[in-house]
Amino acid sequence: MLGDLISTPLWFFFFALGVTLFAPTTSVDSHEGGFSFFLLGFVFIILFSTSVWGMGQTVRNEQMAGTLEQFFLAPASRVTLIVGRWARIFITDAVIIGYTTFLLYLVGGGIITLLDPGLFLLGFGLYEVGLIGFGLFFAGLTMRIKSYTTISNLVFFGYMILTGALFPITVIPTPFRYVCMAIPFTYFIAILRHAALASPTILPLTVEFVTAIILSISMLIVGFVSFNKIEEGARMQGSIATS
Amino acid sequence: MRTSSRTKATTQALAAIFWKGVKHYIRYPGNFLIYLFIPFLFTLLIFGMGQFVGGGNATANFAARTGTSNIIVYEILGSAVWMTSWVVVEDVGVALRDEQMKGTLEQNFLAPVNRFTLLVGISLTDVVITTGIFFIVVGVTLAIALPSSFLNLIPAFLTLLVGLIPMFGIGFLFAGFVIRFKEPYVFTQIVNLLFATLTGTYYPVTFLPYWAQFLSGILPQTYVIDDMRQIILANQTLVNLYGSVFVLLALALAYPTLGYAIFKRIEKRAGVTGEFSKY
Repeated sequence: MLGDLISTPLWFFFFALGVTLFAPTTSVDSHEGGFSFFLLGFVFIILFSTSVWGMGQTVRNEQMAGTLEQFFLAPASRVTLIVGRWARIFITDAVIIGYTTFLLYLVGGGIITLLDPGLFLLGFGLYEVGLIGFGLFFAGLTMRIKSYTTISNLVFFGYMILTGALFPITVIPTPFRYVCMAIPFTYFIAILRHAALASPTILPLTVEFVTAIILSISMLIVGFVSFNKIEEGARMQGSIATS
Repeated sequence: MRTSSRTKATTQALAAIFWKGVKHYIRYPGNFLIYLFIPFLFTLLIFGMGQFVGGGNATANFAARTGTSNIIVYEILGSAVWMTSWVVVEDVGVALRDEQMKGTLEQNFLAPVNRFTLLVGISLTDVVITTGIFFIVVGVTLAIALPSSFLNLIPAFLTLLVGLIPMFGIGFLFAGFVIRFKEPYVFTQIVNLLFATLTGTYYPVTFLPYWAQFLSGILPQTYVIDDMRQIILANQTLVNLYGSVFVLLALALAYPTLGYAIFKRIEKRAGVTGEFSKY
């Protein structure tokens, strides 16, 4: 956690400095909106990491340490065990987000504006449900695919570039934008940004909200089913604990 | 006779350690693929964020601050050097910790091989890996975005080669710290990020406050990135850049000496306290 407390603000400064090269050379007071946009983007990235690195990596770490079988023999369902790990990581990440926001406020970065906290919380809930489903799917993948780190890195970068986390998908050229629109997380992020900053959604708000609800529940179900199916297959092949 | 047999033994040891490292990358090619992809992915991220912030004037704003409108080449050069630095810190710095966790460090240290040979052998693998990263990442980018400067790859690569020597010295330093403090990944994450921030990976170091620029001035990557940009984007030659080349050569003497001296000191202390066997 100490590493994250030091590195998270550093990542923000690192990207902020790189992006400053592109900003207008004359002073334009868009400081606060831009700051909120990027800080929210970092919040989305940290939260996404709970599913890929928190849940999926948990299973991978147990596998590498040779304790995955003991982990699964515990008198609790597999899903409970893995979601429990997600909960711990989520709490840790919430502390890191709070600390980073406060630190950036102290260095003069401003605060995140939340124009509609109620909608933001609702969107956040949908996002987290989708993340848990995605994390379960990823945790299942670790039992089948041994080059987990490579895939999770690529997925992580894909998330940062294609879902509007750090810049709107309107920046992406049109043919590739359809790829962005096929990713469920794009809609969650659009709703959360709309709630916070009144930025435009991809679809009309009501349609986008219904879409997000359907996607969130679907991802949870798919994650749950795929994890159980992959685990059953891995048990039959004897590949659960092979690293 | 004794000298030539000792030289032969050292060469054989170096070759064995080198091939072990190369085989690891061949057996797990995913790691190498990630090293190739990450520079492009980070560049795309910065480019996308920059387009959002700058809008229609993003390129003009960038050119006003950096002297070039070739954003992709400018950023990829920084990315590629950052990636090589990342590889060196991870491989050289964490290699001994990996051996420690597998329980084979003591056997390695009991082998009739000088510690310096052990560290240099690990570094030799990284010369190959970083060469591959450089030529693939920068070569592909230049072939697409700036073909007229493709031949400048060679002098740019020579700059990287000289810059690798002090980076290996930094790797030796971390190898020692990691044996003592046992938290390699936290350590390397913070260090890699600090290097990226201080060495002008995606922006000129003149953007940083003066105290940070002082720190940038003692890191070899700063000179490597700046020289590469001068060579490839401004068609400068290594002769024109003799000042920073001399600084790199001086760092190439200082860092490995300092890094190995600190490593030996920590190793000696670890032998007394039993750190080697502690997980």
